[in-house]
Amino acid sequence: MIKTAPFEKRVQTGISRPGDRLTRNPFAEFETYTVSPKELPLDEIVQSTEVVMDQIRRGYEKLLEEEAKELVWMVQYNTIIKAYEVAEGYVKEIEYTAEDIEDFCFALENTQKIPYLIPGPAGLYISALCNYVQEDEILLKLSELKTEINLLGFRLPKGKRLVIEGDTGDFTGIGIEGGELVIEGNTKNWTGAGMRSGKICVRKNIGLHTGEWMMGGEIYVGGRVRGLGNIVEGKVYEREKLVFPGKARYPNIYY
Amino acid sequence: MEKNGYQERVMEIYRLMNDHLYFNRPDFEIKGEKYNSAILFSLLTALRQGKELIIGEPGLGKTTSAEFICSLIYQFPLGVIWASEVSGHPEQTEEKIIGRPDLGKLNQGEEEVVWSNFTQIPAKIVDEINRLPETKQSMILNGVDRGNWEYLNEMIINEEYCLFATANYQDGGTNTIIAPLVDRFDAMIESKYPGANLSFQVGKNNRKDHLLRHPKYEKEFHRLFKSKIAYEKKIPKMEELCNGFGEFVHETLGVRPLQKQDREQIRTEMEDLAYDLDGSAFTRMVLAEFSFCERYGQKRSVENCEDGCHYTGYLCHEIKNCASNRLPSSIKQYAQGMAWLLRDSEIDIEHVKSVMPFTLAHRVQWKDQVLSQKERAKREDPFPLFLVKEAVKVILQRYREQSDHLKDALAVGSRIFQGESLEPMEGDHPLYQEIKKDLERRKF
Repeated sequence: MIKTAPFEKRVQTGISRPGDRLTRNPFAEFETYTVSPKELPLDEIVQSTEVVMDQIRRGYEKLLEEEAKELVWMVQYNTIIKAYEVAEGYVKEIEYTAEDIEDFCFALENTQKIPYLIPGPAGLYISALCNYVQEDEILLKLSELKTEINLLGFRLPKGKRLVIEGDTGDFTGIGIEGGELVIEGNTKNWTGAGMRSGKICVRKNIGLHTGEWMMGGEIYVGGRVRGLGNIVEGKVYEREKLVFPGKARYPNIYY
Repeated sequence: MEKNGYQERVMEIYRLMNDHLYFNRPDFEIKGEKYNSAILFSLLTALRQGKELIIGEPGLGKTTSAEFICSLIYQFPLGVIWASEVSGHPEQTEEKIIGRPDLGKLNQGEEEVVWSNFTQIPAKIVDEINRLPETKQSMILNGVDRGNWEYLNEMIINEEYCLFATANYQDGGTNTIIAPLVDRFDAMIESKYPGANLSFQVGKNNRKDHLLRHPKYEKEFHRLFKSKIAYEKKIPKMEELCNGFGEFVHETLGVRPLQKQDREQIRTEMEDLAYDLDGSAFTRMVLAEFSFCERYGQKRSVENCEDGCHYTGYLCHEIKNCASNRLPSSIKQYAQGMAWLLRDSEIDIEHVKSVMPFTLAHRVQWKDQVLSQKERAKREDPFPLFLVKEAVKVILQRYREQSDHLKDALAVGSRIFQGESLEPMEGDHPLYQEIKKDLERRKF
């Protein structure tokens, strides 16, 4: 008679007989491997983006609370300066990238989290974000936005280049301080008003009062200039032709 | 990992080979270090008691490199190695390869075998193995596989042995190496052309054979091999002579060849190295792709899988044959050697990835359409090695994408195997199906 070791012993040594239910575990090496909950890299990215977006959104809400209590905001010299200072004070404190600014622009229209899109404060806030972001070149793809945001490119400093794909509203690029603003679309009225230095390029058409009280810098328009403002100093080109200073153009003469 | 300086001694031998005996370019990289694959793999073959097929054009150092390595690792003078070599040719006979009857004794009515030097020496070289006709290749199958050499009613067993076989590319005088013999080789490497400049150096310098020759020891070895004492009793005497020649090499070349106890210690250390989880999971993944067939249960060289299978994108669809059980042993053997040489404490995915092409290249039979698609691709390696290197890269990419999921699936498999009531994890790779099959098997 053949003597065999007890079952437990055979299991320990890995020896089994035909008929034993338990045979050698072919996955034994993985016995101690703990199945870890999955954290996908994309989840981390989304999470961190949401944290930044919350901060940016809170800043915008704070701006609205302080500057547009009645949900009415009048564009006046003082209100612009004050609102920008509030926005500036907030954005200085947060860390974000140019991509976050673009996301915020779309969040303004598309999410329920941001209560109101008021084009003036929104534009000032986005301008402040652009002026304080680390990157020197900022590209905002806004062609899908339904609202044309005002005041984009406000006080764009020297060394910064802001490219906007899509159309913008009134007061685009006012008070530019040496930066380069490129609009791959149309702009409305008062573009480049009060700008001191720098460059604005509008690929398509531009509205009335272009360069009102402009003190320096250049405005290039690829399409038509609907009307020039009272320009103090600087240059305005329409389809590569210098229209200010020049004889042919007068403030807000329609042609 | 013990610090006994063996790795440094092996690397000294590598450097001696590389700097003085076998000039070639580095063509193999692992963990930032570059090596010549022919020297490195031959060293590991000799240390791990492997079987290596060296291919290449005539005159590019296939046999020479193997001879030098055998001489330095096993402490045999070159003259003894030469005298023990078997050369492949159509007229080769069992009597020349394995042994012959002692004719004197036979006249007296006694059967006694005179064993060939080839069977007695632990470092074996078969030169131009593919010039042996296919029928005669079968004669060395058992010996190559297990170290058992039989003639008449006698047998000797090599406790320690390694085998190098060289093969030229196909020409008028060559035969196909039969599949069972091919599978017995653990690795296949190419002895490459060293480039015009190094080749010029080879031609300019004198031959280096004399460095490892010692006529006095060679005669003594020859006398020992011819003597009528039992093979087991010859081994200690052989070791004595080997150690004497080893001392000579140490004095003249400054490199200490490895004594038997050194080789045994090295082997023990190598065998203690186990796969880490990634190394294990990746190896399983490769084995699954080289053996799996959803339609027919496994790959078989006589069955052709059709288009339209869910697993068309995997390697199982590109090959004809099934990976043998010798393949995982070969992979582990060389990966252990590599990990040991690099002083790593476990076999990781880098070791596996680097040795895998050399253990697979000669074993895989690719489908004709794959061969015709890729034969004109730009490459540095011989075609079979190139194909396998590309395949391993693709599998590694797949592994990187799903390593966590795969390890989870294996861990869950282990828990189910131990009796936990869980469902096997799903995944899009043949290995998940293999896990399920193993778990099914447990139910019976």
